Formats: sequence, structure tokens, C-alpha cells
Amino acid sequence: MSTVSTVGTTSVPSGTQRPTAAPRRRGKRRLGSWLRGVTITVVCLIVAMPIIWMIAAAFKTNVQVTDPNVGLIFSPTLENFRSAFADGAILGSMLNSLIVGVLSTAISAVLAVPAAWAVGRFSMGRTGSLVLVARIVPAISLLVPWYYLFAQLGLVGSYTVLVLSHMFVAVPLILWIMIGFFEGLPIELEEAARTDGLSAFGSFLRIALPLAAPGTAAAAVLAFIGSWNNFMFALILADEDTMTMPVTLFNFISYASTDWGGLMAAATLMTVPVILAAVFGQRYLVAGLTAGATKG
Amino acid sequence: MTMPPIRRRHGAAERSLSRGAGPVAPAKHALTRRSFGALVAATAGAATLSACSPGPRTADPNAPLRIMAINHVWSQAIAEHLPEFEDLVGRRVSMRLLTADQLSNSYNVKLNASATDIDVMMVRALQEQILFTRNGWLADLTDRVEGDAAYDWTDFQEAPRERSVTADKVVSVPIVTERPALYYRKDLLEDFGGAPATLEEMLEISLELADRNNGFFGYVGRGQRSGAVTQWSSFLYSFGGDFTVDGASGIGTPEAIAAYEFYGRLLAETGPPGVTNMSLEQAMPIFAQGKAAFYIDADAIYSNFLDPGISTVIEEVGFAPFPAGPAGSVPHNIPSWSLGINRFSLLQDDAWEFIRWISGPEMVARLQAAGIPGARQSAWDDSATLASFPNDLAESMRINAENGKGTDRPDVIQVGRARDIVGRPLVAGITGAAVPPVAADADAEFADFLIRDNRQREF
Repeated sequence: MSTVSTVGTTSVPSGTQRPTAAPRRRGKRRLGSWLRGVTITVVCLIVAMPIIWMIAAAFKTNVQVTDPNVGLIFSPTLENFRSAFADGAILGSMLNSLIVGVLSTAISAVLAVPAAWAVGRFSMGRTGSLVLVARIVPAISLLVPWYYLFAQLGLVGSYTVLVLSHMFVAVPLILWIMIGFFEGLPIELEEAARTDGLSAFGSFLRIALPLAAPGTAAAAVLAFIGSWNNFMFALILADEDTMTMPVTLFNFISYASTDWGGLMAAATLMTVPVILAAVFGQRYLVAGLTAGATKG
Repeated sequence: MTMPPIRRRHGAAERSLSRGAGPVAPAKHALTRRSFGALVAATAGAATLSACSPGPRTADPNAPLRIMAINHVWSQAIAEHLPEFEDLVGRRVSMRLLTADQLSNSYNVKLNASATDIDVMMVRALQEQILFTRNGWLADLTDRVEGDAAYDWTDFQEAPRERSVTADKVVSVPIVTERPALYYRKDLLEDFGGAPATLEEMLEISLELADRNNGFFGYVGRGQRSGAVTQWSSFLYSFGGDFTVDGASGIGTPEAIAAYEFYGRLLAETGPPGVTNMSLEQAMPIFAQGKAAFYIDADAIYSNFLDPGISTVIEEVGFAPFPAGPAGSVPHNIPSWSLGINRFSLLQDDAWEFIRWISGPEMVARLQAAGIPGARQSAWDDSATLASFPNDLAESMRINAENGKGTDRPDVIQVGRARDIVGRPLVAGITGAAVPPVAADADAEFADFLIRDNRQREF
């Protein structure tokens, strides 16, 4: 007669020693857990390898950087950081990147967050799509007319032109992240505020905006990272005094040689603020990026 | 009581204007969204048109003279001398250094918009001069160079001087010249009697010294499809070939095929793995790390092998002229970088004063004495200017300059496209494929390309 196992009870047939299902399941779970761990480790290593290489190279001499036999075990040197800071260009361009990144992100947020609320609440889908065109058009195709226009206005080489050009990228990004966020907020809260006498804009300012803080933070972090890493606009529109970090990195690449150590030291310095922004904004990033995922 | 839903197109706008909960009648002269949009568009259009109207065409007396240059030892060397020039002309000089590709991109964007914030342009005469002249971006310097006896235009070596002329006009002045140098390991070549005099000898020694399983290579050089073409040109010339023959494609000739096959075999049998992805930046460190017996590349990069921060072969590296092929030793001798004046510049006279000063006999001699090979024969005739180079390098540069041809790539408008076509059989040779059929295909494509390119040459 066959043995019947039910949940919560186990009956063992007399005279037989067959292994039960529980140890097999535990074994499978252990194997699955182990495989998952290995997979996560391998993927993390692959993703992190360029960053590990960059940081390691920042502490190597150029001979060590180009020698494939020198891996992660070597005598570190701070000479690359000393030479990177020596002429002051790196610090100056970091400050420029910070000014342009903060200003363009802040102004974009001031413009795009209310716009996103309006698009989300009042079904202005076509307006939203129109703004998205800015993300679709390749930036390089805009540079010739922009350069001409800004040169005529005497703005080339100023912070103004860099902030404006970076806003061209940041406004649609913040707008579209925030549209989803506002659509995910319960409309009843604003309706209740309106009932209590708030105007439409007042309900945005006092109700929707505070609730959308995580989304705003996430969008702002992403916009700042985009501005911090933007190369093309600064290459054409900046001058020596307003040059940003991504362009200055190329000072380490000359016609016949590349100062790999200096380049990696500067690249490491450039990466630090982005990593800090990501680490401190992580909580908001996750909340912001998943906003609207369960709406309706 | 229930509120009217907020998600309404018109009602919502009315409410936001009325600042109340109940609907109100629209004001008689209320600004609609459509008319507001039209107003914004009209304002923006007016601002754009006013911005595009011709501005002042005279330079600000306090404006700096702006030089756009590549990040090169020449640019770094002249940066130290710029205060001298500033005192001379009484104007501040601002120099911006970029990589070659960035420089090219900047010119393309800015000069398309008739930029006036570039005065002196560092250009690659062989790569982009024809295109820039055709676009009308380079000022005509003919009268300036030929009308100044003290400047002595005829003192420039013939090959670089010829490359400064496009459409019968001098549009650039050569400042840095390059030839291929044979870099070799003196310690390894002692048993072979020193540097090889012929390409065949070099191949034989490379085959003998190569120990590829243990990471040592006989020969390392550029193998990238487009990037290798300039260095391969000296092999082509020394095998008796050329990129064009009587205006038609020359890459399908027996001489060109022999050059393709030789270069392919050299790298395939004695070179490092992955060489088809290597240009200067990847190949040079392999020799500098002491992992190859031979390396042929521009003589302008010699200092890399004498820099303890980069090289492990400072004591072992030797320099020799380009080895002879079946047609002798025919390397290139090119103006790798030249200076021109932006035709839209508002400071053209000051820009010329700068070029006249930096490429004059005295300054070229000073720069050459600092290790930057120039284009003036007077500097090459002055042994003092060669003192900074290792003796064998100076001698190889002199010999290569005597034998050299003035170009290292096809003389066309779209040089990049031409290099892609010419480089295809090169890659086939390196990867071990049969070269003749690939060369025949490339030859036909290059012939069509030349016809199209010629049609575009209307200045």
C-alpha cells in the first residue's frame, strides 16, 4: 500500500527506509541559493571590473598600467593624483561641472516638476510628447545652430549657455519621470484640498509636491549625473574658464602618448561625486523610479 | 457633495484662473493657451532673428588671440614662449588644446557657423586641408608667405611646402614634420650585425626572434584598418607602389599587393595577437615594455622610449632609417601638423604675426633644438638643432627626409573613407586571408571613390 503524506503530518511505512522529500527540497534550495550567489558575484565582478581597473590604474605608474603582468598587486603611488592636481585645471573644471550641474538641475526641476503635474493631471499628453522630442533629436545636430545663435548673443563660453544646453536634456528627463509619479498619487488628496478651498496650484504646491519629494529627488539625481557627464556641449560651447570635467580629462591624452595614470586618477576623482550622489540618493532613486508602477 | 474631477481639459484651466471651486464665466480678454503659445513663439522668433542679424565685424581691442591646437609636444613647448609673443603684439593669447578628433569636430561645428572665436587653427594638412579649403574655412596666405623676404618661404623643405598648397593657394604653414623611424632592440640585434638594412632582413630576424607563446614578438606595428594606412604607406612606396597611379587607383597593382602581403605576413607571423585592433596607442606600449624586437612608427614619438615613466627599454632602444624594399627605401616625409588662419577671424593680421613668429627661422631652430622636428631646411642644416636627438635618430631622420615622399595617405577630400578602403586588404593580409581578391575588390571601390571625389573638387 502506498504511503500518503499530508501537510503537517508524515507517515513512514513500516519496514521501508525511503528518504523523505524534505531533505531533497533542502538540498535543492541550498543548490539554488549557491548558484544564485555565484551568479550575483560573477555579474557584480563583470560590472565592477572597469571601475576596479580605473581605481587600480590611478595608483600605478604608466609602466605598470600598460604591463599586463601587473594586476592588482603592486606598489601604489600617489604621483598621478599629485600631477592631476598640479596645474589646477582639474579643480577648476570640477567646480565648473558642479556649478553647471547644480544650476541646470535646479532650474530644470523648477520648470519641469510643475509642468509634469500639469501634464499628468490635465491630460496634456501631446504637450508631454512635444517636450520628449528634445530627447529624441540627437544633440550633435543642434550644436551648429545653437553655436551660431549663442555666438551672436555673445554667450559662447559662459555658464549661461552651458546651463541652458544642459537644461535641454534635463527638463524632458525630469518631466517624464515626474509625470508617472504624479499620476501615481491618489487624486482624492488633491480633491479634498480643493474642497477645503485651495486653488489648483495651491493643491499642487501644498499636497502633490511634498508627496512627490522622492520622485523629485530621483529625477534631480539622474539629471545631475547626466549634466556631470555631458561632454559634447562643453566641448563646443565652453571656453577655457568654463570648461567642465569630461573635456578636461582629455588633457591627459596627447598626440603621441596617453598619461594613463593621470587620466585614471582624474577619472576616479570625477566618479566620486556621482557615486556619492547615487549612494545618498539611492533610497529616493528606487522609490522614484518605481513610482507609478502599481498605479490604478 | 462630490467635486468635479480635476482631470478635465478646459474646466481645470478655468478653475486655476478663477482660484475658486466653482466655475466662472471666462473673462472677455482672457489669454487662451493657444494665444499664449503663439505669443511665446513670436517672442522667441523675434529674439532669434535679432540674434542672427549681422553683429559688429570688428574685433574687441581686448579680445585675446585664440589658438586651437592639438595636445602635442609642439603645443606644450610653445606655451612656454607665448609671453614673448604677447609682449611683441600687445595682445593676450589664449590656446585651447584638444585631441585630434575633438579638434576636427570643433572645427566642423564652429566653422559651419562662421565662428569668429578661432583665429589660428592647427590642422592636419594631409587629412583635412582640402576639405577645409573647399568649405572656405582657411584664409589665403599666399601673399603673406611669399611677400616677406625675412620669412623665407623657400627655406621650408619642398615636400611639406607643396602640401601647404591647395587650389593654387598657400592655406597653411607646416610646423611639425614626421617620418617613419625603425625602432629596434640594440641588445637583441648585436648578433645580427645591428639594424637591418632591408625589409627582407627585418622579416627574417623578426621570425627568428619571435617567441609568441612566451609573449615576445618580432615586430609590432599598427594593424588597425584605417590607422595602419599611414605607416603602411612607406612599405607601399618601398615596394614600388603608390595609392594612385596617373589619377587612378593604385592599390590593385602587383607592387601594392606585394606590400600588402609582406606587411600582413610580418604582423601575422611575428606580431602580437589582436593586432588588427592596434593603432599607435596600443602598439607603442608593447615595444616600450620590451616585448618586441622591432617597431616602425613616427619619429615624433621617440621620446616615449626614453621616458622612464613609460619605457623599460631606455638603454636598449636603437633608431634606424626605414629599411629598403625592392624599390629602395622610400619613406614618407610629411607635415603632420600645420597652422592656418580662420577665414572668419577678426584678428587675421595678428594671427599671421603669430604664425610668422612661431614658424620663423629662429623659433623653428629653437623648437627643433628642444626635440621637435620642424620643416625648415636651415634648421636641419644646423647641427646644433639636432643635438637634442640621439645621434642615430638624428641621422635616420636626415636620411628619411632626403628619401621621403610628401604624403602618407591618399590625397582626397574624404581621407577617412579612402583610408577605410585602402586598409581592407591590409587587414586581410594580417588575418591570413588571400590578399589578391580582397585587393581587387578594394581597387574597384577605390577607383569609383576617386571618380566621385574628383567631381567634388570644385573650389
